[in-house]
Amino acid sequence: MRFRAKIVDLACLNHFSRIINTIAKLAKTCILRLTVCKLYFILSDKVANGGASMWCELSQGNFFDEFQMEGVAAEHNEIYLEFVPENLWRAFKTAQSAKAVKIKLTNKHCPCLRVAVELPSLSSSSRIVTHDIPVGVIPRRMWNDFREPSVPDFDVSIYLPVLKTMKSVVERMKNLSNFIVIEANLSGEMNLKIETDLVSVTTHFKDLGNPPWASEDGYQSSAQGRDVESMAEACIDIKKLQQLLAGQQVNPTKALCSKFNSSACELQLVGSFAILSFSRISVFIFVCLKVNIFTAPEDFQYLYF
Amino acid sequence: MKCVIAGGNVKVLGRAVHSLSRIGDELYLEPTESGLSLRAVNTSRSAFAAFLFAPLFFQLYEPGSAGPDTELFRCKVHMKSFLGVFRSLPSLEKSVGKCLILLKPRASRLVLQLHCKHGVTKTHNLAFQECERLQAVFDTQRCASRLCAPARLLAEAVVHFPPTLAEVTLGTGLGGKISLRNYVEDEAELSKTMVTELWLAEDEFQSVAVAPGSHITFCLKEFRGLLSFAEASNLPLTIHFDEPGRPVIFTLDDTVLEVHLVLATLSDLESSSQSPSTNGVSHLPAPSDDFADDLESYMAAMETSEGCSEGPPSPTFPLRTPQPAKSKPQQQEEGGGGGGGGGGGRSCARDPPAQEGEGWVCLGAGGGQSLLLTPPFLPTVPLPVFWLGDDTRKAWSGHHPGGAGGGQRWRKLSPRVTATPSLHPTTRTGTPQ
Amino acid sequence: MPFSAQPPASGERYALSASLDNARHLSSLLRAVHFQDHATCLATASGLRVTVEDAKCIQANAFIQAEIFQEFSVQEESVTFRISLSVLLDCLTIFGTSSLPGTSTALRLCYRGYGYPLMLFLEEGGVVTVCKINTQEPEELLDFDFCSTKVVNKIILQSEGLREAFAELDMTSEVLQITMSPDKPYFRLSTFGNAGSAHLDYPRDSDLMEAFHCNQTQTNRYKISLLKPSTKALALSCKVSIRTDAQGFLSLQYMIRNEDGQICFVEYYCCPDENVTEAEL
Repeated sequence: MRFRAKIVDLACLNHFSRIINTIAKLAKTCILRLTVCKLYFILSDKVANGGASMWCELSQGNFFDEFQMEGVAAEHNEIYLEFVPENLWRAFKTAQSAKAVKIKLTNKHCPCLRVAVELPSLSSSSRIVTHDIPVGVIPRRMWNDFREPSVPDFDVSIYLPVLKTMKSVVERMKNLSNFIVIEANLSGEMNLKIETDLVSVTTHFKDLGNPPWASEDGYQSSAQGRDVESMAEACIDIKKLQQLLAGQQVNPTKALCSKFNSSACELQLVGSFAILSFSRISVFIFVCLKVNIFTAPEDFQYLYF
Repeated sequence: MKCVIAGGNVKVLGRAVHSLSRIGDELYLEPTESGLSLRAVNTSRSAFAAFLFAPLFFQLYEPGSAGPDTELFRCKVHMKSFLGVFRSLPSLEKSVGKCLILLKPRASRLVLQLHCKHGVTKTHNLAFQECERLQAVFDTQRCASRLCAPARLLAEAVVHFPPTLAEVTLGTGLGGKISLRNYVEDEAELSKTMVTELWLAEDEFQSVAVAPGSHITFCLKEFRGLLSFAEASNLPLTIHFDEPGRPVIFTLDDTVLEVHLVLATLSDLESSSQSPSTNGVSHLPAPSDDFADDLESYMAAMETSEGCSEGPPSPTFPLRTPQPAKSKPQQQEEGGGGGGGGGGGRSCARDPPAQEGEGWVCLGAGGGQSLLLTPPFLPTVPLPVFWLGDDTRKAWSGHHPGGAGGGQRWRKLSPRVTATPSLHPTTRTGTPQ
Repeated sequence: MPFSAQPPASGERYALSASLDNARHLSSLLRAVHFQDHATCLATASGLRVTVEDAKCIQANAFIQAEIFQEFSVQEESVTFRISLSVLLDCLTIFGTSSLPGTSTALRLCYRGYGYPLMLFLEEGGVVTVCKINTQEPEELLDFDFCSTKVVNKIILQSEGLREAFAELDMTSEVLQITMSPDKPYFRLSTFGNAGSAHLDYPRDSDLMEAFHCNQTQTNRYKISLLKPSTKALALSCKVSIRTDAQGFLSLQYMIRNEDGQICFVEYYCCPDENVTEAEL
């Protein structure tokens, strides 16, 4: 098992740092899956009573100048590591002006990801900072726990409004209520609603547009033949939504809203946030929030971003 | 005691108080002939800091009258209340033109008066407590290793550690490289904790005179407090250290200001099993001819650092009173000349001899040693150092200004714990908060 | 857009209806009196008054004159209701407290009358928010009976001079003592806390002093916890008028200039602290 990688390009370093920052805000611990071409940050969905799950896929060539990986075996050329993303973020946070950042899998006292940062200095030689981040190596029999989540069927997909506005609205609504209803239809309209004994507030977004996501991916979704005016809605824990939005370093571009029947006693909010801000590289972080249902579990509603 | 601080120096005083507030809950004010000293010690007695503002720092400085038998009045105040007066540094800079400090022992009042813009006057009458002298016993000269660096370098180094980190280990490597790493207590924690290590090249420092392969572990919080002061004042910082368990001393020097921060360091389990006295002398510069070499390099190092902080009046702390040149360093040199070869005597030149019943605070190593403060300018004959008990203090005051015999006399004293508080090394049981 | 998102036609009959180009002109003033959850609103033809009280000792009033609004109509002589100020503020700032330069939140406000909710329609950048806030039975307000003829001492200060003083008030002191005098110390604020006492003196010839009309030496104490909330108003204001009457009642009037240069007022009344013996003074 070997892994070493190197980032030299400042823009790549900056982008990678932002992704790590977003992930650190979303997950306390997560899985880093390494393959020859890609790396994945995965938060598996084991939490019974709510919580988030996450899937973030990066092509190594978009970020790394060097990337060498040898998996556990030739036929299973992958590595799965469990680590604390906050640690990785701390290492990258102070590496913004670095000349180079090297990442290497080492085994000193324990298995570690060693992040070595070469910083400019006033002298002839660089300042070197190394961070040994303890990791747990996930045995092969457990790899199946971290499979790519299947995208559930959805009724409505919609582009999200400007994140700043959405953050602000959700932030205020959080002060007023514990739950928020999100509605969207195929005419580019989305509403955020709260209602309590004291106050009811509805924010109406329009002209958001509906991306043709489903057909691209070859899904035959239930959005086909749906009344464009009819709203698909989901009611979720507003704190979870607020955390999700607060963690975003960039503007998520797509929202998918769907209606889904299930016997499981929970509602889900699934988000994929596309980080498109840097030169033609798209990074999708799928986030799934599970919230216990608080109304009769008859008609489960799923919402996708 | 009466003093007046004008203009930008009010902010310097404010920053000093902020830095001291990282150490202790009480602020000790000691007016002396050589300036106003502000001191603090933490509750676990593992950290001590002293800021000495020379008379030239003030527009007016009257330490008060000390008779032949009486001493200058000293007091301590709640750090919080003193800090409250200087809480907002930007507004100090923006609106305060002058600060008056009046210590009126008879009226039981410590008056701090700020003269602000628009003729507004803020008068704070603070409660105080008369107190013993607060003094850590340490000797920068006895430290085997010494580093001098711009505060900025060290500030940039510590940003790599999380704000919550308690202790950091400073180590010296080959080729004069200096490392900093977060201290991890035991092996079990290592598999859970991220270890961050930083290497700085020798040429980033103004001077490096260190024993290779040495390392010390000290608390980061207090160090950060001093660093922010040093960085804002644009002063180089000197670190004097010895082996694990012996205190580390951080110093800042300016024509009108001298700062010492003394922190206990973690004892090495291995070395603490040795006898304390062996431990104590093992790193002292040994034979005299070797020592001369050492000194040369030391003086050279001092020249480099002096070049930055001395010479023309400091732009950081403008001199307010045009007095005949009577700066602190000169006094020390004179004192050193008179003191002859005895280390103890010269330390008296810097710190007036202790009187009976004074409160002493010793920053000791695990074996119950302490280090004596000596002006860094003076070469000393290496002397083993001892815990200072009551008898010691008598001996010391009796021998003032100190001949060579002082050291001999001390040697006879056995280490013991006195009624006065002592600084303990940072051990796991006594980790400072 | 659903029907509910449409602001009501102006022809409909509302006890109170008003519109405002920039909702922040209202929200920032309301924040200046937001030290208790509930407020009593009184609308008359001359404008809107929002009153907040605490401990039967302090009363704060925010006055928003009719001229501040682009449209302001009251169908009755006066309209009054009680409302949760926290909720109202969250609704008014639903699009954020600091809008981007060049953008502002437009507001339309309607109240059908007793028993009806207060309706707010907010719009920014094409996004519309509709709020329905339930109103409550108005409560009887304190009458401080503070009229200008009874004023003994009066000082007008530039707010800048008080801002720092209030920000740094020693909150371990139970009271803030205000001395106003024709002689030295003219105008003095004192606290008596754990750390000792502190006095802040403003000379009468200070350039912060816009007016100084003190007829007799008065020293009064006020609960510092009651006066501290007025810091919010102080922060927004450009001038403050400090007045006391013969009984020691204090009136603080804050003159607040909004982004468009319009003037509004926030006023605090406070009872003197009765637990003061002559010896302490």
